[in-house]
Formats: sequence, structure tokens, C-alpha cells
Amino acid sequence: MDVPTEEEHLLYSQRPEWADVLPLEQYENITPLAPIFYTDEYKDATNYFRGIVKSEEMTPRVLELTEDIIRQNPGHYSAWQYRYKTLMALKCPLDDELKLMDELAVKHLKTYQVWHHRRLLVQQTRNPGPELEFIANSLQNDMKNYHTWSYRQWILAYFNDDELWSHELDFVESMLEADVRNNSAWHHRFFIAFQSGVRNGDQDRDAIVRRELAFVKERIAVAPNNASAWNYLRGILDHAKTPYSELQAFVKPYSLPQPPFGTPPEVVDLEDPLPSKEAQLPCVAAIEFMADIYEEAGSGDLMKATELWRSLANEHDTMRRRYWEYRIKEASKTIKI
Amino acid sequence: MAQPRRSPHDYYETETTDHQAETEIILLKHIPLSPGSPSPLQRDAHLQFLVRNLIQGLPSRYISQDASQPWLLFWTLQSFSLMGVAIDPNNKQKAIDTIMAWQHPKGGFGGGPGQAAHLLPTYAAVSTLAIVGRPGPGGGWDQIDREKMYEFFMSVKQPDGAFLVAHHAEVDVRGTYCLLVTAHLLDMLTPELLEGVPNFIKSCQTYEGGFSSASQPYFSPEPEGPPTLLDSPRPPLGEAHGGYTFCSLASWVMLQPYLSLQEPSVQQPSLNFKTLLRWLVQMQGSEIELGGFKGRTNKLVDGCYSWWVGGCFALLSSLGIIGSHDHDHDHEPTVHQEDEAWDDIDDSLWDRAALQRYILCAGQHPAGGLRDKPPKPADSYHTLYCLAGLSTAQHNVFLSSTRRDAILGCWKILPESTQDQLRRACFTHSLAWTEEEGTSHILGSKSNRMNATHPVFNLTMTHTEGIMAHFYKQTIPPRSKRT
Repeated sequence: MDVPTEEEHLLYSQRPEWADVLPLEQYENITPLAPIFYTDEYKDATNYFRGIVKSEEMTPRVLELTEDIIRQNPGHYSAWQYRYKTLMALKCPLDDELKLMDELAVKHLKTYQVWHHRRLLVQQTRNPGPELEFIANSLQNDMKNYHTWSYRQWILAYFNDDELWSHELDFVESMLEADVRNNSAWHHRFFIAFQSGVRNGDQDRDAIVRRELAFVKERIAVAPNNASAWNYLRGILDHAKTPYSELQAFVKPYSLPQPPFGTPPEVVDLEDPLPSKEAQLPCVAAIEFMADIYEEAGSGDLMKATELWRSLANEHDTMRRRYWEYRIKEASKTIKI
Repeated sequence: MAQPRRSPHDYYETETTDHQAETEIILLKHIPLSPGSPSPLQRDAHLQFLVRNLIQGLPSRYISQDASQPWLLFWTLQSFSLMGVAIDPNNKQKAIDTIMAWQHPKGGFGGGPGQAAHLLPTYAAVSTLAIVGRPGPGGGWDQIDREKMYEFFMSVKQPDGAFLVAHHAEVDVRGTYCLLVTAHLLDMLTPELLEGVPNFIKSCQTYEGGFSSASQPYFSPEPEGPPTLLDSPRPPLGEAHGGYTFCSLASWVMLQPYLSLQEPSVQQPSLNFKTLLRWLVQMQGSEIELGGFKGRTNKLVDGCYSWWVGGCFALLSSLGIIGSHDHDHDHEPTVHQEDEAWDDIDDSLWDRAALQRYILCAGQHPAGGLRDKPPKPADSYHTLYCLAGLSTAQHNVFLSSTRRDAILGCWKILPESTQDQLRRACFTHSLAWTEEEGTSHILGSKSNRMNATHPVFNLTMTHTEGIMAHFYKQTIPPRSKRT
């Protein structure tokens, strides 16, 4: 519970400097359903807010009032909206506002409004530089926060400035270092590598694809049962229109049981790292991937695909039995034609 | 039942596997002794939980929901509808009066009285009026200012086909869904409103197959006139997510009549249904997660995705992606007790029985109401979306061509209407959804049965028909069998 910070927090209704505002009750002449039991402070502040909105006042004291409401309920989007309009009307120094946002974003990480308000401010200040570090720090507390990640992507896309982008790959690599299963970080990597146009130095698209394939293969080797990494691998291939079969040599060992301890690898292939000795194999995503390769090849290989789908349906991934059976049925349609 | 396998972590533990392991230890305790006999639905306890919120009110920690008052009411009243509970006239009137206090003088509804208009509460308010409202003075329906609402909608429309959820607020595909549902229910659709929306939806699909909250448009300046929106780059902002995926896919379904009326020469945007279907089925948790749904890759199962993800399969079917057998052909009504009996009638690609098990065994709070997962408290949001998920897992609701033809046959052209084709197409497309006879499958006792819900609107068919017949000034033919 947020408690008013000042020890003697007077209600607006007790403060002479607010006496000229006519507070508005929320409901008049009706008994609402599902009423919320407000604290006196919240009820008082929002009554004065409704009064201010009605009179369309935009003065410095509106900033005090809206901050007070936001601290009690950061989801009060109307208070945010009115605050923004007032900041603009008064031409307030936005650096102070951003400082306040630094504090509020940490406190209310999961609120849409704290992040959006930052966006509005940064569009005015046009100074995105400090934002990336702020976001990085904020992600330390909540590594998969949806708003924080989309805000970072927005900063990069909106300002589209090479300087801003220069350390992005290092950043996302460090996030994946901290948790290789963080899907938000994988998505961010895809956004950087493939979806935001071509940056200076990245003109050789085949090289980017090779770099990303090498990166994701290493991450799969460390912890193969990681859906995020496999989805990323598929994403690269779909994006580059590369057939899945080109990955067959890499994927196959992951689709098989762990070889007996001490079995030497047949061939040491530096481009296709083998699963770690600790890996729990076979890996469902690898079996699925192999089946896709066989399906792509068609004709005689469809039997192999069917066999793999059947093993998923009956043994390795029984929750998706119906889906795997559907894949078998769909593939069998292509044979008949 | 043998103890299900723990999720593999390859002896390389990270925060993701730590959270997953903690959750699995808790969920393990909720696995029923026999898979066909889950905990019964504690209907009375859930009703009491909701009634308490409605009548006695909500404790002060709900101040955080003060800007979501329409949602609180929608979650509660739609939960009643799903459980087949009608509301008495006195409380209906109270609900109408409460809702109408949220209407903004310049159009749309706010999150409470005196709050700014916003697409999300507008949807929640109008949907709740579909449940409790009626025509005439004091009934709510005829007091909605649709002209001003339309102006509000157009005022938040962006050049890339997205909508701000409110003035000076964010773009978010939830806003698109909420606007489209509202415009469908209230007969407010125009080509002007819908232009560019399909391409915006398309741009939110990520490489994983699911959808993100928004995308970033890029424009190229033109010497004269407005800048041109580029097809690429147009990156999604944020990863594939269950809630945004539902909103995107449901929007896509609602846009079908509009798309089918376009000139054949205009290139139609398309979605990648192959990756979408794969992503959707991947969101269903394994046996140890009781088959609940997650909202993102490598995140935890959560009861609310029972609807947001579980609800996507009926939407996909309507697009002809999956389950394309002729649903209009009647099945013999049968009672299915055993798990095996499902196969005869159920051509769905996900495990409907398992989802019911998750909701019944892990989703129910012992003190009433439903929840994300144990040991979390219940709330009205999770109560509705768990119950709606239960409903979608129990019933096959499909777009019936027979029903569509019947509705079309009764269509009356209004002299004042300028958008007859679009209105007619959207009206029939919205109301052709029909519950397939004889294919419901209720896990456990029959008293676990929910009412069927509209796969796009999440309202009962009766409530959908009532409000749409009123605003489109149409008569809807009676359904051939049960209602």
C-alpha cells in the first residue's frame, strides 16, 4: 500500500489554495455496482481532478495534483493524459519530468502509462541517449518486462540513429548470457538483426545470417531444450528463405538419445556444435525440426517424417498429440496428389 | 496416473528454469488422481465471490483498477452469463446507470465518471450493455452517442492503420480489437474506419507466429501530399504474446467481410497461419503443467490464457485453417465419459480435456473465484477468462453457412444506409457463429458445463443477437433447434 509520504498530508478540501476549485463527486444520484472502497486521500484527490478537468485548468498546481493521483494509482490514464497536456501548455522543463519518471518507472514497472509517458517526453526532448542505459538497468529487476522491451525497440526504431544502435548486439548478448531462455531478449535480437532495415556495416545480409546461425547454434548446444532458441533458428531460416535441410547436420544429434558416455564424435565439425554432455536428449524441438526437413524433402522421406511425428505424439510431446497427428494427416494428403 | 515428467533443464539452470521448477512443484500437487475426474466446478463459491464484489464492493487495493471500472463490471457480468445466471431487473438497472455515467461527453466511454475516453473501457462498457441493456429510455442502448463515438474513433486513428487507445496514449492491438468489436455491435462500420487496419494487424505478427502489441511504421516523405507508409521495415514492438495474439486474430476475423468486398485487383494482406498454428499449440503446457496455456515462449502457464490462447482455435477454424469438415452436418448427441471417446467427434488440434483439467484443478481458488495459478488469489479478470476458456474447451462454436444464409434471407435494406453491403456482410458474419450440436465435451460432472460464448466477442449468442438486431434494425430468424 502506498501511504502518503508527507507526515501531515492535508486533503485538498482542507487546503485554502484549492478552495476555488469545485470538487466533483464520482457518482451523483446513483448507487454504482461494484463500487471501490477508496481511501480518503484518493477520493479527495480524484474529486478535485474531476473538477479541474471540467474547468480545463492547466496550471502548475495541476502537476502536483496529477502526480499525487498517479502515485496512488499509476494506471489512472486520464491523470497521465491531463498531466501531459498541462506540461505542454506550461512549456515545463521536461528533464525534471524525466527524473520523476525514472523514479516512477522503477516503482510501477508493469504499468503501461509510465512507459508511454516517457515516450511522449523523449519525443519532445529528442534526447534518447540516456534511455538505453535506463532501460538496461530497469530490465535487471524484471528481465522479461514486455513494456520495457517494447520501449527499447521503439527508441531504436523511432530515432533510428546509428550511434544508438552501436552497442545493441553486445547488450542483447549480455541479456542472453544472463538467461539464455529469455524469449524477450531473443525477440529483441531478431528485431536488431532482421527487422529494422539495414544498418551501416550490415549490408552483407548473408554474413548476418551466418553470424546469427552460428550464434543460435552455440546457444542451442549449451541448453538444447530451449524453445526460444529453436524459434529463433526457424525465424532466421524463414526470413532468409533457407531450406531447413541445410541445418540437418547440426540438428540431427539433438534429435537422438544422448550417445553412451565416452563415445567419440564421428566427425568434429566446428560449425555444428554438439549437444552438451548434460543435455537431456532427444530434444522435442529437434525431432520436430528433423520431421520438417523430411517433410520438405517429400516422397520417400515422408515416412521418416511420419515416424518422428508419431514419436512426438505418443512419447515425447503427448500434450500436442492432436497437432502431430494433424501434421501426419496433412503430409499424407501430399502423397496422394 | 504416473507422475508426469519434469521439464528438462539440461543441467544448465537459469532464472527461467528456476521459475518453471517452482511452478511445477506447486502444480504437481494439483494433478487429479484420475484424469477423467477433476475437481468439480465450485459454481456457488464463484458466484458468491462475484456477487460480493458487485454488491458489497471492492476493497481499497482495487484503487489500482479505478480506471478500469467498465472492465470490472464486464468481467463479473459476463462470468454470470457463462455460468447461466441471469441478473435481476433492479441490479440490471443499476448496472446500466453505472455504465452510462462513464460515457464521455465527446464520445466513447472512460474508465470511470469524468475519465477520458479510451478504447478499452469503451469496449467493456458496450459489451456490458449488451448483457444488461435494452432499447428505450433508461435502457442504455439508445443513450449511446454513436456519432460522437465515431468521431472519437476517427480521432485516434493513425496513418498506419493503428489506433491510439486514447488521446496522447499508446498504440496497441488491444485497442484495434476493442474498437472493432464496438463498431460491429453498434453498426458503426465504414471503409474509412477500416482502411489500413488489416495491414497493421499483419505487421504485428512476429517470427514466432504469434502477435506483438504494436509495430513501428516508417514513412517516406513525398514532395506533395502526405508521406507514404513503407511496407518494410515495419518491425513488431515486443515478442509474440497470447493476449495480443487473440486481439489480432479476432480482429482479422472481424475484417474478413471488409476484405472480401475489396476490388480483386487490390492485393490482400495475408497472415502466416502455419507459424501461428504452431505457436498456438506450443503455448499449451505439458502434463506437469496440467495442459494450461502460457502467454509467451518460456514463460509460465496462467489461467487467463485459457481464453486468450485457447480461444484462438475457434477463430482459426472460421478462417478455414483447421478443422474444415462440414460442421453443419449434425452429429448424434452423445454422452462421452471416457477420454477416448473424444476422438470420434473432436477434430481440434489442441488438448481440450487437458485445459479443462487445468482450470478445474489449478484455476479454482478454494475460497471462490478463479486465478492465474496456485497459490495466487482470485480476481474477476481471471475468473472470467478461466471460465471463458472452460467454455471454449467444452463447445465447438463454428461459422455456419446454413445459419448465415438464414440471416441473409431476412436482411432488410434500410433506406438511410449508405454502407449496406459492408453492414450486411459484417452482420451475417458476426451472427452465423453456431454451437455444434452433440459435440460438447464436458470433463467431469455435467454441472461443470459453461454456456457457449461467441468466439470473437466473448458474449453469449443471445446477448450478441439482441444488441445487434437492435442497432442494425434487423429481425433475426429463430435458430432451428435449441437456442
